Amino acid sequence: MTTERCREWRESLGALALGQLPEDERAALEAHVDGCAECRAELESLSVVAQLLPLANPAHFGTAPAPPPALADRVAATIRAERRSQRRRRLRRGLAFSGATAAVAAAALAIFVLPGGNGAPEQHVAFGGLPSGLKIAATLEPHAYGTEIHMYVKGAPSGTLCRVFVRGPQGIRESAGSFRYRWGDDSDAVLSAALDLSRTRAIGVRVGKRTFVARVRA
Amino acid sequence: MAPGALSDERDVREAYAAHAGELYGFALRSLGDSGLAEEAVQETFLRAWRAGSRFDPQIGSLRTWLFAILRNVVIDLGRARASRPTVAEGGIEPSVEPFEEALLSWQVEEAMRRIGEQHRRVLLETYYRGRPYAEVAAELGVPEGTVKSRVYYGLRALRVALEEIGYDD
Repeated sequence: MTTERCREWRESLGALALGQLPEDERAALEAHVDGCAECRAELESLSVVAQLLPLANPAHFGTAPAPPPALADRVAATIRAERRSQRRRRLRRGLAFSGATAAVAAAALAIFVLPGGNGAPEQHVAFGGLPSGLKIAATLEPHAYGTEIHMYVKGAPSGTLCRVFVRGPQGIRESAGSFRYRWGDDSDAVLSAALDLSRTRAIGVRVGKRTFVARVRA
Repeated sequence: MAPGALSDERDVREAYAAHAGELYGFALRSLGDSGLAEEAVQETFLRAWRAGSRFDPQIGSLRTWLFAILRNVVIDLGRARASRPTVAEGGIEPSVEPFEEALLSWQVEEAMRRIGEQHRRVLLETYYRGRPYAEVAAELGVPEGTVKSRVYYGLRALRVALEEIGYDD
């Protein structure tokens, strides 16, 4: 069987698989297929596809429906919200731990390191030596622009102004912004500072008239 | 964290850009409601993010993994809807096809959208509309033999497109 001859037969295999050939053509092609392993294999493969065709609804052959552009933002927002609530749970666990050790801790200290985004370590910092009733914790996360800071305060008078800063080597001080603590607000303030986390030695927050500083593990 | 884990917001954004269209298309085909389809896609990415560290590219592609999650989400949503009382009697409730059948239907339709217009056209006219080759050939201004060979190359293109989108027989 020459290849050229096979090609002629072969271009009718689609019609055969779909049952569209007139009787005489069908009989002739089937006779060829019976004696040609290649054409037989091709017919079998096309038949698999042909059997799937009835499942499709031709009304759906036009342009694929696209999700509304706003869905991308909603997905991102849902994940951010989930991330924040996970972080808050971690902060609370951190606070419970710092409360238990407050009596021993003369100064504030960084207590543990959690894996954060980009595989880089996220630093969890608890503030110790605080006045009774006041709780402060922070999570620091490395970014290309510097450090993202999630600040959690509890127990200050409602409306208290909180100013956050970070310290680098040789006394470098970089502001991370400010927020007001409100009673009943269970959220952490999200701030940022233009100092790389790897160079951040300490984080401080001025709560009203008092300043508290916690060391950040290098 | 495992390498290739989908645990970063940026990974999720990339996964969304690459696969949200297909996931939405399938969810819509399967659930028959654009609001539910959006909910399904959102839930799929949320679950993917939560379970991100369990994703292992050694086992299967990200696409396959996302479709496996979507499968569960669609089943959950279908179940939730089934238990919801019907608002109006005689209202059109989209049918909840068994998942595998819905997935196959969607895959064939998606493959049809991916093949060339000429191929899709002859398959549509001769197979779905059952029109004779001579009539279709006259309408397209080509010989009958061309219609026949387009049917052949159309089926072949469809086979390739089905493989691309993960059909596995």
